[in-house]
Amino acid sequence: MFDEKDMILEAKHVTRRFPASGGRELTACNDINLKFYRGKTLGLIGESGCGKSTFMRFLVRLDTPTEGEILFKGKDLTKLKGEQLRQTRQYIQMVFQDPGGSFNPKMKIRDIICEPLMNFGRIKASEKDAVARKYLEAVDLPGDFADRFPHNMSGGQRQRIAIARAIALEPELIVMDEATCALDVSVQKTIIELVCKLQKEKNIAIGFIAHDLGLIQSFAHQIAVMYLGNIVEVIPGEDVDKAQHPYTQALLSAIFDTKMDFTKKIESIDSEIPSPLDVPPGCPFQTRCEHCTDICRRERPALKAIGEGHEVACHLFKEGC
Amino acid sequence: MLEIKNITICYKDRPTVKNFSMTLEQGQIASLVGESGSGKTTVIRAVLGLLAGGGKVTEGDILFEGTSLLKNTPDQWRKLRGTDISMIFQDSGAMLNPIRKIGDVFVEYIRTHETISKEDAWKKGIRMLERMRLPSGDNIMNSYPFQLSGGMRQRVGIAMAMTFQPKLLLADEPTSALDVTTQAQIVRQMMELREEFGTSIIVVTHNLGVAAYMSDLIVVMKNGEIADAGDRDYMLYGSHGDYTQKLLDAVPSLGGVRYV
Repeated sequence: MFDEKDMILEAKHVTRRFPASGGRELTACNDINLKFYRGKTLGLIGESGCGKSTFMRFLVRLDTPTEGEILFKGKDLTKLKGEQLRQTRQYIQMVFQDPGGSFNPKMKIRDIICEPLMNFGRIKASEKDAVARKYLEAVDLPGDFADRFPHNMSGGQRQRIAIARAIALEPELIVMDEATCALDVSVQKTIIELVCKLQKEKNIAIGFIAHDLGLIQSFAHQIAVMYLGNIVEVIPGEDVDKAQHPYTQALLSAIFDTKMDFTKKIESIDSEIPSPLDVPPGCPFQTRCEHCTDICRRERPALKAIGEGHEVACHLFKEGC
Repeated sequence: MLEIKNITICYKDRPTVKNFSMTLEQGQIASLVGESGSGKTTVIRAVLGLLAGGGKVTEGDILFEGTSLLKNTPDQWRKLRGTDISMIFQDSGAMLNPIRKIGDVFVEYIRTHETISKEDAWKKGIRMLERMRLPSGDNIMNSYPFQLSGGMRQRVGIAMAMTFQPKLLLADEPTSALDVTTQAQIVRQMMELREEFGTSIIVVTHNLGVAAYMSDLIVVMKNGEIADAGDRDYMLYGSHGDYTQKLLDAVPSLGGVRYV
């Protein structure tokens, strides 16, 4: 389904440990292997605190992993420094969860959109007006918005500005950290449509973080499910209903949508996600899993391919397609 | 039981909610849905007399068990709030005093409404927490709010709100700050409240799926007015309102629209 020559970024054995109080260690990401393909969306999903944002932050080098490498077109992002790193940053851009918080409130929209371009000397100050208009129109906003300040805009409009700023450098990968979760459903829909349209036009790879499986399956090409720092399942976006891992199934059963069977009992898993400070040995999901057996408590399951583009880390499943 | 009659609510002379009416019977669950800024929260705050920033009900009336709430004196409000009508907020963590332990706040709350010794209030608190499926209540009573997860804090909020088995529970986006699995647990818990205590509930939410699952009555609001109202079947299948349809289409669903 994915062409290896379209792969632009590969994370290999990425692990991140944070020091915690009492000499303990918190493993936010544990041995993560993921690939990003040109023109495809990778959805990363999991509950809060599972390490999904931590991982995506490595891609834009807001943080570096403790171990492992992140290869972007053959170069290891984690080792880049100085000017070389700065030059690489233009290929990977990010859209944040709260668009209000990611803008300088004293800058006009024109300056916000053009700042990355000016930083890399791609345009002259005299061209700013025309360029800002062009990108505003690309995200379906009127060109006159260039003269506004972020606070005179609605949440959805601000998120469009954030997207305009991210695409201004013509990046090859955009990381979106819960880019729609602060928005209303109807606005969310229009933003997703816009993102898909831009992706098709410009052939951008997208890494999208979400906690709503219903949303992510509507536009992601592959979905990685994360639990307590581990990837537990990778599944093609259109096959979400064939998900096998007990945790993914729990996520599926916790979705409320308007086409569901309303007489159905809510069978969500009880209990809370354990503290990432004391992840049990063996399978991370063992404390909430109803299929838990002896081997789950002893041995951590590795990701196994069980179908085309479908990998599961669970002792219940055997390798093979 | 609760009757909201044609109310208009103004903040500084500008009407935010116009001509809003609804009736709620004993044991019914109603949802208010709509986009942000459509006036959902304003309506339920008006029911509890908690309008922020000089908001005022300028027209119409709100009747709770036959008596108007609008003419209540502060003393009457104090008797009503927390006992007959209580509220759950979006983030119960923000409602709890961050520098006091949960137990401390809980005991104070119980003793404000009831003449009871501290030990008995403490025990009552623990009983409520355990009913809300929070194991080891003692532990939680001795914790500070920041030591609990969002889902646990929300359950503490519900436990507090349910202590005096109110007749009406108002919930302002009770699940929108939570993960999907926790959301499912909280939704289930709220539905159990109705079965156990016969509580009537008004939920403000922007999640149409949750609204459809829980409610007997769904009210869609737009720009401070009722855009559409009815039961679940009407909303999902019978409604021809453009706005309702637009909202429904925007809800991502499994096996629904795919953009790629």
